Amino acid sequence: MAKVSVLNVAVLENPSPFHSPFRFEISFECSEDLADDLEWKIIYVGSAESEEFDQILDSVLVGPVPAGRHMFVFQADAPNPSLIPETDAVGVTVVLITCTYHGQEFIRVGYYVNNEYPSPELRESPPPKPDFSQLQRNILASNPRVTRFHINWDNNMDSLEAIENQDPALGCGLPLSCAPVKGLGLPGCIPGLVPENSMDCI
Amino acid sequence: MKLLKPTWVNHNGKPIFSVDIHPDGTKFATGGQGQDSGKVVIWNMSPVLQEDDEKDENIPKMLCQMDNHLACVNCVRWSNSGMYLASGGDDKLIMVWKRATYIGPSTVFGSSGKLANVEQWRCVSILRSHSGDVMDVAWSPHDAWLASCSVDNTVVIWNAVKFPEILATLRGHSGLVKGLTWDPVGKYIASQADDRSLKVWRTLDWQLETSITKPFDEKFNPKIFKKKQKNGSSAKPSCPYCCCAVGSKDRSLSVWLTCLKRPLVVIHELFDKSIMDISWTLNGLGILVCSMDGSVAFLDFSQDELGDPLSEEEKSRIHQSTYGKSLAIMTEAQLSTAVIENPEMLKYQRRQQQQQLDQKSASARETSSATSVAGVVNGESLEDIRKNLLKKQVETRTADGRRRITPLCIAQLDTGDFSTAFFNSIPLSGSLAGTMLSSHNNPQLLPLDSSTPNSFGTSKPSTEPVATAGARPAGDTVSKDSVNATSTPAASSPSVLTTPSKIEPMKAFDSRFTERSKATPGAPALTSVTPTTMERLKEQNLVKELRPRDLLESSSDSDEKVPVAKPSSLSKRKLELEVETVEKKKKGRPRKESRLMPVSLSVQSPAALTAEKDAVCLSVPAPALKLPMPGPQRAFTLQVSSDPSMYIEVENEVTAVGGVKLSRLKCNREGKEWETVLTSRILTAAGSCDVVCVACEKRMLSVFSACGRRLLPPILLPSPISTLHCTGFYVMALTAAATLSVWDVHRQVVVVKEESLHSILAGSDMTVSQILLTQHGIPVMNLSDGKAYCFNPSLSTWNLVSDKQDSLAQCADFRSSLPPQDAMLCSGPLAIVQGRASTSGRQAARLFSVPHVVQQETTLAYLENQVAAALTLQSSHEYRHWLLLYARYLVNEGSTEEGAVEGATAGHRAESPLSAPLHRVSGAARYSEGQVACLGLPWLQQGQDHTLATDNAQDHLSPRQATEGRGDTGRRWAVLRQHRPSSLGRLPLFPGPVASSEEGSSADNSSLPSGPLCRAGAGALPCCPGVSEALPGLASPARSRGGH
Repeated sequence: MAKVSVLNVAVLENPSPFHSPFRFEISFECSEDLADDLEWKIIYVGSAESEEFDQILDSVLVGPVPAGRHMFVFQADAPNPSLIPETDAVGVTVVLITCTYHGQEFIRVGYYVNNEYPSPELRESPPPKPDFSQLQRNILASNPRVTRFHINWDNNMDSLEAIENQDPALGCGLPLSCAPVKGLGLPGCIPGLVPENSMDCI
Repeated sequence: MKLLKPTWVNHNGKPIFSVDIHPDGTKFATGGQGQDSGKVVIWNMSPVLQEDDEKDENIPKMLCQMDNHLACVNCVRWSNSGMYLASGGDDKLIMVWKRATYIGPSTVFGSSGKLANVEQWRCVSILRSHSGDVMDVAWSPHDAWLASCSVDNTVVIWNAVKFPEILATLRGHSGLVKGLTWDPVGKYIASQADDRSLKVWRTLDWQLETSITKPFDEKFNPKIFKKKQKNGSSAKPSCPYCCCAVGSKDRSLSVWLTCLKRPLVVIHELFDKSIMDISWTLNGLGILVCSMDGSVAFLDFSQDELGDPLSEEEKSRIHQSTYGKSLAIMTEAQLSTAVIENPEMLKYQRRQQQQQLDQKSASARETSSATSVAGVVNGESLEDIRKNLLKKQVETRTADGRRRITPLCIAQLDTGDFSTAFFNSIPLSGSLAGTMLSSHNNPQLLPLDSSTPNSFGTSKPSTEPVATAGARPAGDTVSKDSVNATSTPAASSPSVLTTPSKIEPMKAFDSRFTERSKATPGAPALTSVTPTTMERLKEQNLVKELRPRDLLESSSDSDEKVPVAKPSSLSKRKLELEVETVEKKKKGRPRKESRLMPVSLSVQSPAALTAEKDAVCLSVPAPALKLPMPGPQRAFTLQVSSDPSMYIEVENEVTAVGGVKLSRLKCNREGKEWETVLTSRILTAAGSCDVVCVACEKRMLSVFSACGRRLLPPILLPSPISTLHCTGFYVMALTAAATLSVWDVHRQVVVVKEESLHSILAGSDMTVSQILLTQHGIPVMNLSDGKAYCFNPSLSTWNLVSDKQDSLAQCADFRSSLPPQDAMLCSGPLAIVQGRASTSGRQAARLFSVPHVVQQETTLAYLENQVAAALTLQSSHEYRHWLLLYARYLVNEGSTEEGAVEGATAGHRAESPLSAPLHRVSGAARYSEGQVACLGLPWLQQGQDHTLATDNAQDHLSPRQATEGRGDTGRRWAVLRQHRPSSLGRLPLFPGPVASSEEGSSADNSSLPSGPLCRAGAGALPCCPGVSEALPGLASPARSRGGH
């Protein structure tokens, strides 16, 4: 059973200009005191076509985490526009919030993000080269796509056995090339566990 | 014997392996396979037992579901006290669940189910010891031990007082252990295994007492899968007998009485797959049976069939004679006086004392932590905490330079119970946010019949006519009607004042979204009541929990508000009686466009009226129609909007100044609060982001601005208020005499003046099931007969805008013309009134082979009705939607006959020649095939250009392109011509140049004297952002053809 469950993620300051930082207020519940910190990441999917363009906007450690309900605000800078393919700058993409414990990802919250020009003129005739200063970012906050993964919380090998047969919930994964890819082990990951996290390796 | 298969008890088709009824008989648990994990669900029992409850939308069916097991759940068992639930599964774990009483309903974040957990059960212990799947668990009598058995051939005895302590591991079986049972006094435990043996173990030293193998050697029927015996004995003649139900792998269920040689009944083909588990009800007359096929059946026997059950005393006498005196057969009362016969009893007594101590300290902890939380909340509301969280949270750098945030603890975890009441965002202090509704009832409420809580449950006690003062005969039907009414019409309609509807435009991005677009049920629970009241309420079956309510999911920062009644408010408010209804709802940002406020009310029949005595005196001679009135309440809270967060709090007769009792009105808007006092009791209140109005006794209506300024001296209503409503600056008052008034308090004009509802209600027992006030101040009445009327202020007429029985709607088939993502287009008053478009039209075509021409005609007529209705409702989105649909239909059908589209133009562009204002041209302008005029309306979003027409030649679609477009996608293109309707009359038919002329726009332009050519659908997109948002389905082919 997951020791940490996310209760809510509130998207703050949404919509906002493209260059303003992402801010998520995350509340989660922990059923037992955690020995180590949780690691949260915000990943911006630069292009639906390839994971190559994923950007890890930031990663923070959160701790100490005693049993109870907690909240914090995770702020991360806007993605680097130069890393985003021009054709994908305007339109719908995805931002992911992931949380790992001991290097194992146990939850992934995905949001659709719509980048568009707020002004009708620009919308009608967008500049050939995307003008990021004019773009507005709108996160579809009401529709988080949450994927949970079973991980080993205790670091003992006994319970590992129970988990390895569990297929992570791929079914509800994100359609935009965000489906976890198996087999890409992360350093620090326990062998036998599937670190359903391909983004982190980029 | 009655047999029922409640289809709503299911795990979405996945197998159910276990079922167990709670000892108090009010709920039952099922365990089995979940989506990608094991699943335990707790269900409400009453909908199984009573048909009425099953139909009552306000009674929740599912209470809680837990997906925590990693793999399939094989068994669920309630402890005898009912306090705990143990579940064991293929993940080798046993989880022990306990109800967390302090937490209100909640949903799982991001869950697609959107079903709120009405009750919160959380895992308090995880028992790990087995090395194989856990097959069965069993609580000992008095819950001292929990036994579990597994495919690892062992039975583990857990100390149920001190989890996860293991008292013993019983080894001896040579095959997987499938089942366990304790004897009724807890002296022995029996385990049955795949090695074809049944072993009986002593609880004294956990050694094997005996092993029974003989009967199984040959006679054991492998088909008998699960056997469960309960109900002790039934004494019919003189000899007590047992009743036993056997479910088997051959899918049959048999019920045996030990006094009979043949089974009492055998039922075949009850399920598609094997029976997995059986559980008897409390009274021993009913059984729940679950099957691998994922369904559950309920059998109800009569006493004649099974016999009269023995009383507890008789049972314990039998037990005593069989097993000797033991602790388990004694009741608490007996125990203190009983002579202790064995060390077990001594141990038990000690344990009891210890438990009492534990409980005391636990409750002490609870109170202390509760106060500490309250302290936090009082000092600083959670809203405040949230506002400053970023600044306040502690951020450090680790040695390797990484950011590290110390999270803010917002609640302690206390033995599985959260002592805090709030969840995501709601401050609990005096300034209550969210949708908390607290009704402080008068003492005379108590003798009321059970319908009353229903009306409380309907989340709008303030506006709904709650039968309060004295028991009136009609009260029952009134509230029931209204409850039903709210839940039936247009499932998608938000039935709450506070949550306006909005459909996310992005929903359509994924088809999965549309399926779950509307359900965000909230489920209030009755929480704090003074003990005596609670008992009395219970007796009258008043304590009911509200069914999760469907609400349109709406917000962009959708917070789940879980306000919970704060116990301390009892003492604070010093109320003698208090019932707090708590409701959880998904908050939504009101979409300006479609901000509607539906409520429910009903009309009493004149007969009921005469029987009714009301405290409020009527100054107007009672008319034939009379609407129910809200009774005076001590206090109530009403959420006006969630974004900005705004709510109204009313407390009647709070302060007495010189013998005069004053009522207080408080309004909190995003943390800013204002309050005022009124001299008479406030009956009902309503508000919008712009105004707040309250109706008081003596027919007074006071209106305040959102900032608390009194806008008008009190308005004297012609008769007492029935329902009050606000949308924007519009205030609508429906009086008990069934007259309706709408005022625009901003411009200070009357929109609808004391209009009587007689014309739409007269003659029958119809009730008003729903009221809307659109953002343009147009009132819409949804009646119980499925018709909906809106009042057209300019014509002073009631216009029929929707009819559920409309045969046109049932025959119309325009599916082919729908854009792929239709759902999101249909948000607005018309959609709310009409509900989801049904597919009946399509089916009609298949069912009774309507001639195509007839269907075409009906479809055209229907679409035209829709266009007109949207126009009358001044719903721009819907108008555009239906008009486009109509146009598309005309083109699709390629009708040789004349298609009709009502073209209305508006002065959206100064330079455009098309500047006739809408209301002058709203007559019928008819066009020939494929030629449609379409236009902006003055009340379309200001500043936005909604015309489908353009002068930009680039946007013109050449006929050749149009033709190719047709060929490519099968989607035909409509060439819309914008035309100045010369008058209200018909336009001459134009030769159809849609796909005929070689040269594109110039030829067309030359043939048309005025009005530029444009294309509809995709072609219109570049010039019409509004439409491009609305019609992404059209947008994509346009883009894909970009390189063409």
